[in-house]
Amino acid sequence: MNNGLAGTTLRVNLTTGEIKRFPTDEKLFRRWHGGRGVIAKLLYDEVPRNADPFGPENIFIVNVGIMSGCYIPSGSKTEFGSISPLTNGHGDSNMGGHLGPMLKFAGYDMLIFTGISPKPVFLYIDNDTVELRDAAKYWGIGSLDCEEQLKKDLGEDFEIATIGPAGENGVLFSCITHDFGRQAGRTGQGTVMGSKKLKAIAVRGNRSILVHDLEALKKQVAEIIQRTKKHPNMEPWQKYGTSFFIRWSNDNAVLPAYNFKTTYYEDVGKIDGDQLIEHCLITHKACFGCWMNCGKYTKAVVEGRPVVHLEGPEYETAATCGSNLGMKDINHVAYINWMMDNLGMDSMSGGGVTAFAMECFEKGFITKEDLEGYTLKWGSLDDVEHFLDMVVHKRGIGEWFAGGSKRAAEKIGKGSEKFAMQVKGQEMSGYDGRWAPGMLLSYMTADIGAHHNRSWTITVDMAEGRESVEGRAKIVVYLQHIRPLFDTWCICRLFWGELDISPEEIVESLNHITGWGITVDEALRTSEMIWNLTRCHYLERNRDIGRVFDYPPARSWEEKIPSGPGKGKGVTKEQVEKMLDEYYEARGWDENGNPTREVLVDLELDFAADNLEKIGFLGKPIPGGVPPIRGEKYKPKAF
Amino acid sequence: MVIYLKAGSKLRERLKPDIDYYTRRIETEEGKTIKEILADIGINPALVAFVYTSGKVKGLHYIPSDGQSITLQPPVAGG
Repeated sequence: MNNGLAGTTLRVNLTTGEIKRFPTDEKLFRRWHGGRGVIAKLLYDEVPRNADPFGPENIFIVNVGIMSGCYIPSGSKTEFGSISPLTNGHGDSNMGGHLGPMLKFAGYDMLIFTGISPKPVFLYIDNDTVELRDAAKYWGIGSLDCEEQLKKDLGEDFEIATIGPAGENGVLFSCITHDFGRQAGRTGQGTVMGSKKLKAIAVRGNRSILVHDLEALKKQVAEIIQRTKKHPNMEPWQKYGTSFFIRWSNDNAVLPAYNFKTTYYEDVGKIDGDQLIEHCLITHKACFGCWMNCGKYTKAVVEGRPVVHLEGPEYETAATCGSNLGMKDINHVAYINWMMDNLGMDSMSGGGVTAFAMECFEKGFITKEDLEGYTLKWGSLDDVEHFLDMVVHKRGIGEWFAGGSKRAAEKIGKGSEKFAMQVKGQEMSGYDGRWAPGMLLSYMTADIGAHHNRSWTITVDMAEGRESVEGRAKIVVYLQHIRPLFDTWCICRLFWGELDISPEEIVESLNHITGWGITVDEALRTSEMIWNLTRCHYLERNRDIGRVFDYPPARSWEEKIPSGPGKGKGVTKEQVEKMLDEYYEARGWDENGNPTREVLVDLELDFAADNLEKIGFLGKPIPGGVPPIRGEKYKPKAF
Repeated sequence: MVIYLKAGSKLRERLKPDIDYYTRRIETEEGKTIKEILADIGINPALVAFVYTSGKVKGLHYIPSDGQSITLQPPVAGG
């Protein structure tokens, strides 16, 4: 195979322990581009619509895509997928590090786990040796601790992915951890691993990956290396990573503070990147094939607690577990980051859930009695530590919050759903969209719930006017096509977003690797196909018109920003409705948010149209037909 | 006085470099902040997260000196 694929797919039946090898389906990868695309198709085809995400019929997929592990900038990603227990729809999440490349070097493009193991196990891969091994000694220990122990037991040269107690205990926002701080955090992929009693994956390999035109690839990548080394933004990225953007978010009224009550955090200077570098930084850290080393390996020093080591906090965690919890010390934020990493919780959802609980406590909806005698006050590390312990062990009301803020609000009632800051069950990332309407629309319509990586529009909102919503939908659609392509190819977005590597250059690399000879437009069309399939899958599982799933919590339109540079700003309900109308029109869906046959057939998803029609949720035909091209490439106006 | 502003990615197009691919020579008055200089050349300061000079991060209220080279850093585009 001279196409970037390693050649073998493993199917692991955890119920029986049987492991089967198959030649990787090249046609499947060609059509769906690997990563998120192949995962979307396999979940759609193989998981019954009524399957419990915790049950044996859910499948758990590890997919390395085409470009990961190849001689390509930041070809480091590994994509995980299953039906999400958090959203009850297609779920996928990815991490950087070295796991994916090592899987390829061992000879594997994809691992598909089915069933449920009768006892805790981990998958051991050493080139051709593939075994399910007993994980009894690792069960119950933290993600970071487990990785360290497995490296001691197996060898430092194994790359390892683990879950923590949160995943073992069924906390719905559990993550997968690798490389002592890289997480596939979103959609509860760690929860599914835990439900299958799969504690870890450990892999070592030393084979080559064959590509279509190595000389052309080497020449192209050598030029990219030279160019990006001279890029003016490279050095700041290398030295500071993402944490330095907290202050910018605060200055521009998008930083969530106190459970998204406001977008202004008066103590931002205590948790900003300069504090991280001054007090916590140990060294810089890079993923496979990357010379940007944006990762920051750090320590958290908190009086009365052991010094702990972690990667981060990156921007998202500094926001969701810093300003959003009212924390006033970067070491406390880093300590919470470490706790969530070792417990195996997604720090974005974990921060969102904790902030929601803090506001419930502030309003008297939960009490000290509910919290085993503790309070849950803004800025209290002690309170957060105790609360997370209740959640991870599902003690008392901890069980409510282990289901995420949406489910917890259903238990608490009293109107708390208005400030449970989530969409489709998944908590918002570290940006408030009330005065960045495109960002709010991005959260509302993301196929996996409120996650920023599908579409991020804040500078677009600034350029186009933060008070208006017109025209934002087409840009969100375009971004929802181009950004997930990176999760499909299993490479990092930052070289594109931050260092000017163009989509055309990336597709050229893809062609050197695969020999496919495709264009950017064809890749975007594939991404649109994936997007529509995940939408159909969501509607088939959740059985209602699409529009009902696409609303943010009422705080998003009922409460204006109360303080700071954005004081008094915010969208109205009418603007939210208008954005949805324009979004569905831009996608060629009907006003209910249901995909139409015309657009599904255009994307060669006839089978999905048939399935939607059978259950009564196929979109009504649109007078005048659907747009020939969905989405609009964003060309910024003069700012 | 003269300063040299550098920008890549989303800001480069706005900066209109004239020295090399990333760099523009700017004549400005002493004592002005970066924020004021950006406004003078038609770049919305909100689109710059911070500036980077001599290996250090500085805020937009930083006052550059004659001959200084300064990189404009846009906000991270959502990871």
